[in-house]
Amino acid sequence: MADPGPFPARRGRLTIGLLALLLAASILVAVGVGAVWISPWDALRLIAWKLGMTGAPRGIPSWAPVILFQLRMPRVLLAALVGAALAVAGAVFQALFRNPMADPAIIGVSSGAALGAIVVILLGWGAALDALGVPAAAFAGALLTALLVFRLARVGPGVQVATLLLAGIAVAAVVSAAISLVMTFSGQEVDRIYFWLLGSFAAATWPQVLLVSPLLVAGSAVAFALAGDMNLATLGEERAAQLGQDVERFKRVMLATGSLLAAAAVSFSGLIGFVGLMTPHILRLLVGPDHRRLVPASMLGGATFMVLADLAARTVVVPQEIPVGAVTALLGGPFFLYLLRRQRRAAGARG
Amino acid sequence: MPAAEAPPDAGRGHARAFEGGLRVEGVVAGYDGEPVLRGVSLSVEPGEVVGLIGPNGAGKTTLVRVCSRALAPSAGDVSVGGVDPYSVTAREAARLLAVVPQELAPAFAFTAEEVVLMGRSPYLRPWGGGRAEDWAAARRAMRAADVERLASRPVQELSGGDRQRVVLAQALAQEAPVLLLDEPTTHLDVRHVLDMLALIRGLARTRGTAVLGILHDLSLAAALCDRMVALSDGRVVAEGPPEDVVTPDLLWDVYGVEAEVTRTASGRPAVAVVPGLHGTPAAAGAPSVHVVGGAGRGAPVMRMLAERGLQVTAGVLHATDSDATVAGRLGAPRVTVPPFSEIDPESAARCRALAAAADAVVVCDAPFGAANVENLRVALAAARDGVPLVVLEASPIGDRDFTGGEATALWAELTARALLVAADAAAVVAAAAVAARRGRP
Repeated sequence: MADPGPFPARRGRLTIGLLALLLAASILVAVGVGAVWISPWDALRLIAWKLGMTGAPRGIPSWAPVILFQLRMPRVLLAALVGAALAVAGAVFQALFRNPMADPAIIGVSSGAALGAIVVILLGWGAALDALGVPAAAFAGALLTALLVFRLARVGPGVQVATLLLAGIAVAAVVSAAISLVMTFSGQEVDRIYFWLLGSFAAATWPQVLLVSPLLVAGSAVAFALAGDMNLATLGEERAAQLGQDVERFKRVMLATGSLLAAAAVSFSGLIGFVGLMTPHILRLLVGPDHRRLVPASMLGGATFMVLADLAARTVVVPQEIPVGAVTALLGGPFFLYLLRRQRRAAGARG
Repeated sequence: MPAAEAPPDAGRGHARAFEGGLRVEGVVAGYDGEPVLRGVSLSVEPGEVVGLIGPNGAGKTTLVRVCSRALAPSAGDVSVGGVDPYSVTAREAARLLAVVPQELAPAFAFTAEEVVLMGRSPYLRPWGGGRAEDWAAARRAMRAADVERLASRPVQELSGGDRQRVVLAQALAQEAPVLLLDEPTTHLDVRHVLDMLALIRGLARTRGTAVLGILHDLSLAAALCDRMVALSDGRVVAEGPPEDVVTPDLLWDVYGVEAEVTRTASGRPAVAVVPGLHGTPAAAGAPSVHVVGGAGRGAPVMRMLAERGLQVTAGVLHATDSDATVAGRLGAPRVTVPPFSEIDPESAARCRALAAAADAVVVCDAPFGAANVENLRVALAAARDGVPLVVLEASPIGDRDFTGGEATALWAELTARALLVAADAAAVVAAAAVAARRGRP
């Protein structure tokens, strides 16, 4: 019954399949690399055994499952989840703002999360709630900031996208100033705060993975469901309404979804730049702008990129660990500039 | 091809959805409490193409927004296919009414096919991709708009004409019984405009679509539409077949422009706007020509004189004469008297002064009777004072003399004193212009 669709759609599906394989391969490699090496084949056998698909594999040292499942797996999976959440949030905001340069941080989520985290670190409550004090505070800070921005951007019955953008920038600036102020008086905690701000998965645990997963699943499910509406949104609000979209409801749902995803991501990993901005941008070049392909592709691509970035962060300067936010920014900044120049050249050629 | 299959998950009101076209009754609507539409009523029957004309700010786009569920009216009723669009969801409304916008600029590089498929949005379900019937509808729309060959091209790379046809295909994919055109041809060249309008005309015939279109080119609108509605200042000021709506008087009243309206081979009105004549005064110190007209004979002469930059004066005119209307639009100093009345001595004296001050006088071949024979004496007096005289004579005075011989005698003396007597208005105007310019020191 379903039409296989035209060639570009098939190519998109193929790309998504390849991205899924790439993510699986990245995870297998990432859980193997470290102070002791576990081969991808061994890792695969251990995972199959853990999932109850096979019996206990032979010829694997007894410490291997402990390292794999207790130390590396949560970290790698959390990186994958956060990368996916940031990338989907990026796709959501880029559709909502009709702008390929929009970033999850645009509505103040990142700075709000940072402020929440810093306050808790300074108050010494970081260890509270079974070591979830910092993420919980960051999550609360992120959502409160997003809510404040929405309230400021509300004009009459609807949210104006342009106002939202400006309110986000203004609120983020104020919150950032507050962060600087707090850090000035933070004494010896400044290193810890600084490390959190740069982003890291070093302290990843299974409970964190289990907490982020449902948020990512729910947020991505909404994004998949509204993929067609996200396509309409890129035509502008008036046209989207003419084509049957309930524009105000769509904007509310998109804002809530994007904010939840971004808040979940930053609260467990700190401020990791460029993933939410770049991933949808790059994948748009690969699978086209149709969100029915772009959302799943971004999710897989963001997860893969984050797993590899974290792998680089903990292996490039052994035994030191680089904050993963520094890795993504180092890779992402130049790449973003390249895209910007390419786009400007293309616009110049058209104009 | 079915006109528009009832969607399988059609909701309330859809049983009547495909009859009745578009109806607007007593609609008042505007922004921030400022009404733009002040009680507009119109209807478009299925299969009918109705053109909406009117100047900028008349409320055309506001009316489109009211009909397309984007701006709820503060009073009055809108009915699309028998359904009030504000009583159903946006999704349901989009199955009843499709809009072809002025332009479409997607933020990302969607292909033409993806853009057309978005027109099926009101039929798609969440998570579901396009079903076979949606693909089929999109293909039909692309075939109808002749954009199949562009399917895999990004719309941003298409030329204006191609892109606009893709937009049309997107609207057609909605397969709605009512189609609104919101100036869709603004960015197109004349050939593409004709193609698109012919296509829309054909759709109305074959699918029974009710079409309401805002079109800027009045001649094209008149050629395309079964009926036309003129909006001015938020009200309907004229409605009917194109030849009844597109008239020089309406164009003056609504747009404030002088226009000549002729008929095409098929009997449709064709509009030629006369540039520069909408009340623009002649340059200060321009030579002036006094025109003796009547019964509309002076109008073309006055227009042509004004076009040459000459100051026109006119009189004595009867107030309802089209000559008086044209003289008024040209801003010509003039003397008028009430309709059918004889020229009183005071008006005659004022007109004599106008003619005497002119650099040339043109006498036109109007019918002359007791009410206006005085005009011939005015012209003769000026001629005797040495003002150059030119006479337009396309028909003999005998046919136009209703004074029992008095006008014939005066006419004989006038033609004797004239620099030129000609049957062609253009020749008369040229001679008057030369004489008037030479007459200046």
